[in-house]
Amino acid sequence: MMKEESGSREMKETTPVLMHGTQEPVDALMKLVDFSAFYGHLEVLKNINLSIERNKITVFMGPSGCGKSTLVRTLNRMNDEVSGFRTTGKVLLDGEDIYGPGVDPVLLKTRVGMVFQKPNPFPISIYDNVAFGPRIHHLTKRKDELDSIVRESLQKAALWDEVKDRLGKSAWGLSGGQQQRLCIARALAVKPEMILMDEPASALDPGSTSKVEELMVELKENYTVVLVTHNMQQAARVGTSVAFLYKGDLVEFGPASDVFENPESPLTEKYIKGNL
Amino acid sequence: MTARSDKSSVGVSPWNSPSVISNHKRRQRIDIILKVVVTACVIAVVVPLGDLLFMFCYRGIEVISIPRLLGNPISSIPGLSNGIVGTAILTTLAACISIPLGIFGGIYMAEFSKGGKFAEGIRFCSDVLAGVPSIVLGYVCFLAFVLFFGWGYGPAAGAVVLSIIMFPYIFRTTEIAIKKVPEGIKEGAIALGSTKATMINRLVLRFALPGILTGILLSVGIALSETAPLLYTANFANYNPTGFFHSQLGYLTGFIWLFYQSPLPQDVDLAYLATFLLILIVLCLNIVARVGLRRFSKV
Repeated sequence: MMKEESGSREMKETTPVLMHGTQEPVDALMKLVDFSAFYGHLEVLKNINLSIERNKITVFMGPSGCGKSTLVRTLNRMNDEVSGFRTTGKVLLDGEDIYGPGVDPVLLKTRVGMVFQKPNPFPISIYDNVAFGPRIHHLTKRKDELDSIVRESLQKAALWDEVKDRLGKSAWGLSGGQQQRLCIARALAVKPEMILMDEPASALDPGSTSKVEELMVELKENYTVVLVTHNMQQAARVGTSVAFLYKGDLVEFGPASDVFENPESPLTEKYIKGNL
Repeated sequence: MTARSDKSSVGVSPWNSPSVISNHKRRQRIDIILKVVVTACVIAVVVPLGDLLFMFCYRGIEVISIPRLLGNPISSIPGLSNGIVGTAILTTLAACISIPLGIFGGIYMAEFSKGGKFAEGIRFCSDVLAGVPSIVLGYVCFLAFVLFFGWGYGPAAGAVVLSIIMFPYIFRTTEIAIKKVPEGIKEGAIALGSTKATMINRLVLRFALPGILTGILLSVGIALSETAPLLYTANFANYNPTGFFHSQLGYLTGFIWLFYQSPLPQDVDLAYLATFLLILIVLCLNIVARVGLRRFSKV
């Protein structure tokens, strides 16, 4: 706790980020403290401080190249494999630094799941896609338990009714929107606490997009959701809190209504009005 | 070209000017010439190839008989059973050495090397190895294994030289096949908390298998058809081998090389039979691979 306090005090002194309602205590599942990220010598995220609230949808938005995708990928260490990538500062998950020693990045990913921009189902059956995570982690040895994990995950992803009669068919035969919901189901099957979604609807048609958005709102009942989008309407529709990033800086962070209706930074205002 | 109206809304249309029309006719002529040239090239290749295949198959079917398949060259009816056995032993042993090395090496290059100078060096060496004439490899292995290590002529030395010839093909095709697996699938597996080994084992290899199998078949085909390096390492014998070392053995390509210019017609028959069998084996390998791949690629 000491470290967190000193982190937040430093944040107030050094960063120009405009925080809405910082005084209110938040139930944070994840907390970034003085977090910076680099590709080689290029600093792509500069001293980010923010809290991701439990059972809420936190949206990262900003123009292309602002670092929002890098940021979300650092939250479950998906960038570890990128050569030249390094970080400073802390990402605390329930108080534990996920970049600290003794943290297994493989197990971290079972707590913090991820859904990608382009639907990426595996070239195996629908059932096997959802069962992939539980199988590799040996979550269950019994077929009936695995069946129920698959069914529940597909139900939570609002896909069960569409695929229950063809679980053995290839996942590649599904439509783009169905594939993306399958990927969400696949992520849910390992029972994560948090789900990162990197522009999950940007490759989908409007109908599929609204289904995925409805799904996000339902998911926040049981999960903490982080959404990356460059679509402001989407951010306003589903976001609880919104972080606006620009050129690696966290410019503004606060409840969605405050950020959209009373942006404190002129940059945010410009972006919202489409002038950036 | 269909003529267009001159009364275009944007003024005089350029499409009816003589230079445009003559240009179009010139391009049509070039198109026809290209079609004729490529068709002629295909015919020039396919006809002699078809003729050769037909001749070998015709002669092969003419001379094939049970005693020829079961006997050896010094039986009362000369046969090439020891060649079939020898080719099978050499190719199987070589495959046992080169397939695991090639596949694991390819996996390393595609997934673990991170494209450094070391990996670049390995790739370069492998490409050089693939370009070295096989007779040179045969001589090197003769000096190293047959003489220096004292293995003598036999299946061991022969299999080692064949595996050296096979390795680069399996190695490179495995690397390429794995690199072709969509990044999204690999990321998807990693994001579910799979280790690299699990990801490779459960998804990547499955996806890359058609490519890897193609490389293996290509290399087996090459190993089947090698002669010169085997003359250096396995020499030739009319009997089946009795051990891995100091035990010369026969093989099908050896029959072709040693028997086709023999004055005895029964020896020449054996050379034709060996040719026919090799063609048949390569054909079967390809058919099996294609059928297997088709069944496999259905998810």
